[in-house]
Amino acid sequence: MSSRSLRITLLVLTVIGLGVASYLTYIHYAGIKPLCGRNGGGCEIVQTSEYSKLAGVPVALIGLIGYVAILASLLLPETERSRFATVALTVIGFGFSVYLTYRELFSIHHICEWCVSSAVIVTVLMCLATWRFLRGDATAMGTPTQAEIGAPESNAPLGAAHS
Amino acid sequence: MSTVEDDEQDLTRKQRREQARAKRKELEQAEAATAVRRTRLTQLGIVVAIVVVIIVAVVIATGGGSKKGIPKNTHEKNAIVTEVTSLVGGIAQNGNTLGDPKAPVTLAYFGDLECPICREFTLGALPSLIQKYVRSGKLKIEYRSLETATKEPETFKTQQVAALAAGKQQKMWYFIELFYHQQGEEDSGYVTENYLQNLAQQVPGLNLTTWSAARSDPELANSIATDAQAANVAGFTGTPSFQIGKTGGPLKKLEYASLTEPSSFESAIESTLKA
Repeated sequence: MSSRSLRITLLVLTVIGLGVASYLTYIHYAGIKPLCGRNGGGCEIVQTSEYSKLAGVPVALIGLIGYVAILASLLLPETERSRFATVALTVIGFGFSVYLTYRELFSIHHICEWCVSSAVIVTVLMCLATWRFLRGDATAMGTPTQAEIGAPESNAPLGAAHS
Repeated sequence: MSTVEDDEQDLTRKQRREQARAKRKELEQAEAATAVRRTRLTQLGIVVAIVVVIIVAVVIATGGGSKKGIPKNTHEKNAIVTEVTSLVGGIAQNGNTLGDPKAPVTLAYFGDLECPICREFTLGALPSLIQKYVRSGKLKIEYRSLETATKEPETFKTQQVAALAAGKQQKMWYFIELFYHQQGEEDSGYVTENYLQNLAQQVPGLNLTTWSAARSDPELANSIATDAQAANVAGFTGTPSFQIGKTGGPLKKLEYASLTEPSSFESAIESTLKA
């Protein structure tokens, strides 16, 4: 997979995740029920449970902020640092999803389809971002660029092929 | 040696030098790549470790698992009884109903005593509704049974009948409150005869002999079946579910945004009072 298509895939997934988190944040503040399968039981229960907030902040809003941060890291010029920022943010997002899924399964005993979809998105994001970070420059395929070895970082435009 | 031979030897020497340089460069690049990869893995490892530590800290800070309500000692049990008594003590009870029978608004609460989300409502939004509307005679609440969280139908029937049997002595709401306050882990099989007997013993002023006898009253089992039919008609599949309306009139489904904050319930009660 080329560096460009990998970045586009990451961007598309992040935008979808952003949409899910925005919707959940909106329904939280609007005080309306989420659209959900199985008569909306699981989503509504999870959304209104005591675990829907962390230190007083709605978890949907935390998710929204997380996706915005991931998006920002993907829009930065592609360098070692920006790739690290993306992978670090997705690992944090994945950890947060693990915590929320744990709460759904073992504390609330109900599953919210929206939360699961976000968890799946962030898991795929983390895997792709990790792969992207570990392989470095895609065109070099494992061979570090001068920028990665220590020379000043490239200012090449995003997605441009590196030699 | 001829000049041609000298030239050939020079070329070979040059080629060897170039080959050695290329090899060295390759080796250096490979070493650099390994070093970069190692650095990346270390950075990733640090991030993962920090995230794991944060998750564990959050889980511990927000409660390790499902918050079990079964009291560990007599002191905790007494504290719960005191809390429940101060909440429902002095309020009229009639069978499954809490509040003045002539209260203008009726709220039907469909619950399963083992349902953890019902517990959330019972310990969350419900107390303020009782204080604000039931005590003032504006609202009465009917507890109705709907099996959701309890896996075994027999267990469900036994526990709900046990609560209804306390209602024969106008103490069902003590039993309900005590059950939810001391609810155990879902699917752990904590609802045993001992557990129910223990709860009954905590209900202030409950005659245990009369309560035990009432548990075999077929009327109570029938009322559970009636509640299940009513829930089915209303389209309820989960608990807690609610209906609200003018007392004596038809009840309609109550939509809520939160089970811990009473605002959705309050606005529904207020609009029904004004209707």
